[in-house]
Amino acid sequence: MASISIALSLLQQQQPISIQTVIPSKHRLSSSLRVFSAKFERNSSYCYVKWNPQKIGKRFLLSVCCCSSENPENGRFGSNGVEGLGKFVSSLQGTIGTLTPVLNGIKGQVGKNYAVGLCIAIAFLLITIRAYTSRKSGYNRQGSVADLVKRGQLRSDRRGISKPLKYDDPFNNPLVKISENNSSVEMCGKVYRLAPVTLTEREQSNHQKRRSRAYQWKRPTMFIKEGDSIPPDVDPDTVRWIPANHPFATTVSDIDEGLAQNNVYQKHGVPFRIKAEHEALQRKLEALQNDQKLDKLGVDPSNARDFERPYKSFSKSNEHLEQRPSLNQNSNSTSPKSDRHPNTPNDNSSSEELQKP
Amino acid sequence: MISPQLSHINPNPSFPFSNSTFPQSLPTKTLKPHFKPKPTPIVSVLQYNRKPQLSGETPRVVVITSGKGGVGKTTSTANIGLSLARLGFSVVAIDADVGLRNLDLLLGLENRVNYTAFEVINGDCRLDQALVRDKRWSNFELLCISKPRSKLPMGFGGKALIWLVDALKTRSEGCPDFIIIDCPAGIDAGFITAITPANEAVLVVTPDITSLRDADRVTGLLECDGIKDIKMIVNRVRTDLIRGEDMMSVLDVQEMLGLALLGVIPEDSEVIRSTNRGYPLVLNRPPTLAGLAFEQAAWRLVEQDSMKAVMVEEEPKKRGFFSFFGG
Repeated sequence: MASISIALSLLQQQQPISIQTVIPSKHRLSSSLRVFSAKFERNSSYCYVKWNPQKIGKRFLLSVCCCSSENPENGRFGSNGVEGLGKFVSSLQGTIGTLTPVLNGIKGQVGKNYAVGLCIAIAFLLITIRAYTSRKSGYNRQGSVADLVKRGQLRSDRRGISKPLKYDDPFNNPLVKISENNSSVEMCGKVYRLAPVTLTEREQSNHQKRRSRAYQWKRPTMFIKEGDSIPPDVDPDTVRWIPANHPFATTVSDIDEGLAQNNVYQKHGVPFRIKAEHEALQRKLEALQNDQKLDKLGVDPSNARDFERPYKSFSKSNEHLEQRPSLNQNSNSTSPKSDRHPNTPNDNSSSEELQKP
Repeated sequence: MISPQLSHINPNPSFPFSNSTFPQSLPTKTLKPHFKPKPTPIVSVLQYNRKPQLSGETPRVVVITSGKGGVGKTTSTANIGLSLARLGFSVVAIDADVGLRNLDLLLGLENRVNYTAFEVINGDCRLDQALVRDKRWSNFELLCISKPRSKLPMGFGGKALIWLVDALKTRSEGCPDFIIIDCPAGIDAGFITAITPANEAVLVVTPDITSLRDADRVTGLLECDGIKDIKMIVNRVRTDLIRGEDMMSVLDVQEMLGLALLGVIPEDSEVIRSTNRGYPLVLNRPPTLAGLAFEQAAWRLVEQDSMKAVMVEEEPKKRGFFSFFGG
């Protein structure tokens, strides 16, 4: 690296400024250029120096010219401004003359400079590529289509197709492609080699014959309880015994075959069992209603209380409570009444009379 | 390519197909790799951009069975059923697995099953009340045979399914195009019930010898019962294991069973996820590999077609010149 040393020293008495710059011998400049010194007198127009690097550089160059070409011994400027201007022009010419050996020196080092330049160019190129790729990767957000393709979750060869894939349509399946010569099939992105089926009709019939010899079987059509004997005029091969603890089959059925068939064929209306249960419930309800009417006929404590003596009603209500659970068993005196056809005229009239206030 | 093939030359006595219940006529062969002969030309596998043409008389009553448990019968039923619904056909899926029903779970309809066929037979509800319509695809309906803790009366077990199919044929909404029956594992009473109304069968197998033995037995029973149209789906296929000769290839399976191929379903982790979610694979977006395979199987089922070529192994994808630049 170049090292620059600048020495400032005050000249004469008050503020003499001395600037000494040492330029390293990178380009092997002449010795006259290596050491510069600038001295400013106190009263000159150049003595006032601000610490501005650019301005200092310019003045510094001028002083260099003066020192190197015309006044090598002392580069001191005169106090007269016109004389200084003339010297400035002459020093400029001198500077141009001085640079010639520098350029010649540079030309002499062309081979080495070419290598350096090449390195700089390569470095510049690398920096440019790096900047470009980093900028491009900035656009590659996670979850984008490009990212999915990069991660293998989306196939790149499906990009750009005009029609979207219709998985709901079984007649348009883009994931099955058969090659032109039918030698391979591509399914879900994987290619499978196809081989022809070699089974012939003759081989197939041979297998059927083999099986018909090997297996003699009749489908069982009769299922009987384990332990039962085979009924007469029934082929024993068609009988299958079902044990009582069979996990899912039983020989017991609570409905007959014809009824089951009708149930299966029934298309409208209430199903058989629901209907039967409904009718049974209806009958039971009617029976209960009749019982209730009979109860009302015989025992109605609320009504009876109005016109009966207290002890009678009390005794009858107790009797009713005792007899009520056994109504359905027809074991008491009121049950024969309930077995009779309901809605008899006498019963109705009597109950209506009783219900009247 | 080296693939495990069946060699007729060197039978291995230690091969586990020595049980008397297993057919002695089934060729006992060892796996031996050899080079494939020169391949014959392959016709087109599948055509998209058109609706598949329904062939056969409706309703097509298809039972999906396997013999062995855990091979993917219920998964296949759910996915093929919904694929058919997506293709525009009306489908009724019957879960005939009486003891261990799971189809409602796979379809995510478990909270909507109030009545089953058991209640229909008993007269607790009508058939239309027991059918659960899928809200995602309204032309798909589910019917469960019975509730997990109830016992199916076997006095008319198989007949009951025939009555159900007949009732579906004559219902006011119209006859469904497909009735798909999910068969329970084994060859017990549930299997007998499930296969009774079926006209055709789909056999789900995995490329392992236990599944193949059961599948061969079940195929024999189906053929004895009069079901001649039997196709198979090879499920849980792993091309990496096939390449490493640790798993039988699809062609090996076909050579052993002698059945037409309806589909080949690759092993896919999405199956477990979709099962737990109650959302069948074929409705996934984007579609998965197994879902696409189920969709293709459903396509072939509609057209009563079978596979003419199978996927053998995965090969590296050819990349273009501009792929270096991300193209």
